[in-house]
Amino acid sequence: MKILYKNSTDELILLAMKSDTASKGDYLLIHDEKSDKKMIVQIYDEEYLSSQSLIEDIVKDEVVVASSIENLHDPLEIGNLSRMIRDARLFKAKIRASIDSKSKFSNEVTWLPSRVYSKISRMKLSEINALVNRTGIYSIHIGNSGWDNEQFEIYGEDLDGKLNIVTGKKESGKSHLSKLLIKTLVEYGAFVIVFDLNNEYGGLAWNRDGMPSALHDQVTILEPGGGLGFSLEYCGKAAISSMLKNALDMPAASLREFFRIWDWLENKNTLDIEALGNAINTWNTNELVRDALISRYHAIYSSGLFVSTKSSNHDGLRFEYLTSKEKGLALVLNMGKAMPVVRRMIVELVLTKVVELLGRGAIPPIFLFAEEAHLYIRDTYWEDIITRMRHFGIYATFITNQPDAISDGIYRQVDNIFLFNFTNGTDLDKISKVSLADNDTVRSIVRTLPQRHCLVIGKVVRDLPMVVKVTSADVLALGQTKTFFTRQDNVPDTSVDR
Amino acid sequence: MHTQINLVQDPFGWNQLKGILEPSVSQCLSSEFSSLLCKKQIIFSNGEKRLVPINGWSSNSKHPCTTITTIHPLQENTTILAIDSSSIQFAETDEGILYAVKSGITTAFRGQTQTHFKIGPMLFYLSEDTLKDSELDHRIAKLVLFDSESAKRLIRVRVERAIQFELSRRFSSAILLVDGSLRSSVFENIDQTLKKVVENCSLYKNAIVGISKSTKLRILDKISPPLTKIKGPCYTDIDLIIKSLIRNTIGDSLLVKFGNSYTSPILRADIATVGGDRDRSLGRILGNDSIARGYPETLQLAHHISTFTTTEISCLKSHVMNNYDVTELASEDIRKKLLGSIPI
Repeated sequence: MKILYKNSTDELILLAMKSDTASKGDYLLIHDEKSDKKMIVQIYDEEYLSSQSLIEDIVKDEVVVASSIENLHDPLEIGNLSRMIRDARLFKAKIRASIDSKSKFSNEVTWLPSRVYSKISRMKLSEINALVNRTGIYSIHIGNSGWDNEQFEIYGEDLDGKLNIVTGKKESGKSHLSKLLIKTLVEYGAFVIVFDLNNEYGGLAWNRDGMPSALHDQVTILEPGGGLGFSLEYCGKAAISSMLKNALDMPAASLREFFRIWDWLENKNTLDIEALGNAINTWNTNELVRDALISRYHAIYSSGLFVSTKSSNHDGLRFEYLTSKEKGLALVLNMGKAMPVVRRMIVELVLTKVVELLGRGAIPPIFLFAEEAHLYIRDTYWEDIITRMRHFGIYATFITNQPDAISDGIYRQVDNIFLFNFTNGTDLDKISKVSLADNDTVRSIVRTLPQRHCLVIGKVVRDLPMVVKVTSADVLALGQTKTFFTRQDNVPDTSVDR
Repeated sequence: MHTQINLVQDPFGWNQLKGILEPSVSQCLSSEFSSLLCKKQIIFSNGEKRLVPINGWSSNSKHPCTTITTIHPLQENTTILAIDSSSIQFAETDEGILYAVKSGITTAFRGQTQTHFKIGPMLFYLSEDTLKDSELDHRIAKLVLFDSESAKRLIRVRVERAIQFELSRRFSSAILLVDGSLRSSVFENIDQTLKKVVENCSLYKNAIVGISKSTKLRILDKISPPLTKIKGPCYTDIDLIIKSLIRNTIGDSLLVKFGNSYTSPILRADIATVGGDRDRSLGRILGNDSIARGYPETLQLAHHISTFTTTEISCLKSHVMNNYDVTELASEDIRKKLLGSIPI
């Protein structure tokens, strides 16, 4: 490989022959032997070395070969050289960092390597890690990377207190990576809440062969009416207020009346979902307010999110209890079957309560995984999560196939992005504008990423974007699309031997 | 003694010089042609390329009466072999010049192009040392050493003759198509002359046809118009004219139109056949080769596979640099340096 020229402020064009194998995303080390300085560049695109005459030659040869059978007498073997030239490629590489003669690493590159005295070699992942000092205690093996398929690990510390986005088109492997992250975080004792829109994260409790997984006891799957039920007393006024206001759009006047009833019941020590219903029905108030209260009460009651502590002798869900165990926990909140309004209620209720508990130090910080969160979180809530809540100890990871559903304000504060394949131009436009890496890298690499390959950008890779083949998680895959037609290869063989 | 002009001291010297030069230059050749050019048809020349009017010169051009014979394709199985080559001056040392040559042979049968054979590129170094041992006449040796056009022609002629010689005795009842006229050359190897090729052809019942894409003989343009009046393939005999103008031509000289339209190009063809049956030979060409734009496709293909491409020239340079322990010197275009250039 040889340096041909510098294309822009941060781009080198390298000439490569067919034997110089490298892929998009690979890192190269350019060692200028004269100055003893090194430059780290990343290949983000490749194309043929092309000139008008070369194209004309190829076309002419193809036409000739198509019209008659070829025989050659090439004593100087010029044909071999010619074929080498036709197969020569240009690697477009982004300058990422440099190492000076005293082995000092820097992201600021203000020099150019010699075209004559530079040697170019592919870098191993371990070399890059050593250079950028990418180490940690809580390693999360998410796949393989680099030309020699080295194991790729990120570190739990780099997700801790950070905002992450996992995005890519449908079926590109987003949920798969998220499951890997959740699984490993829980193994390290982390408390993870998952807003599961497709009821698929429950598979974490099971291996692919149907046997209970190592995490089986650490995965709690809850859904409205299926364990996800709180007592009104536990939720408290703040959480209920937030739910009524934001999820159920209750007017202020009705809200005031609601809390008068709440206080009345509380003073009588009879605060309960059943008692609340009775009280609303008999409460002396304006008819319009009563109607508003009754309709909200029915929404609350039918959501299945509240349990009657008096009649069922059941305390309801308590986060403190769940997190009190020594081991980590994945609390999967299945919302796949819930109505949109119930989803919003769950999110408002859970987040407000968790923030309150974190504020009191009653629970440890949590990792929040929100799949397609734009479908159930109001717009203003996004920024609340990433600004206010992260200070309390909620570290969010948003998983979405619509990058434009997340506002630019969030992208500006994001720490890590796991980018899977996008082919849609609008999505690529959006993601390339707001991502932490340069536009060219994102556009070129992301467009051609195969399934389950992602471009990791951000603090987890010390701002050196990496292409990773995400490893297969040995957990039960749930949430697949239910199809009408059975695939041919799944049809049992009913033919009879004759 | 004539009056001397001093341009420095005499301000009227320029007028005097002008008065002397104008009649002198205008009388060196007759420049009075406006009446002769009047109402003439004209095509403008494009450098060294020879252009011909698409529909020929007008019918009132003066030309002798000629006999036109139409050619009918003969479905008689015959192998058509077309040969072409090209040579380039590739590099230069203080003692000699390195030339590269490429040749191509293509075959056709029953109207289909069958195979092609690329020979080369090959390198030839012509210097006093390399020519010392050749059988070349010393005057020709001097010529090729000092004139690269002659050297390129020598290499091309020798390589082509070597191929033609072998093909003419390895095939029978075939037709050899050659690019250019059938004319003996001083550059030929005495063992592989065109005469020997034609002898082989007659021995092995082959025919050889030399087809020229263009000719410097302007008289042929005057003879060609009747051929444009016929739609299909046809020819006319021009043997007498050619033989009277050019020595060393072998075979019968014809003006041939292979194409199927009025505007198909009219080509000069020299043909040497067994028993002089040129109608049959031309018919066999039409029956076994395919004619594209009025020219045999085998010859077209042979031309394309024998021309050098930019990539090949780059590869040859790389080959020479890597294999012959040579040192490349910086070079310049002396003409460009002296004359400079005025960007437009």
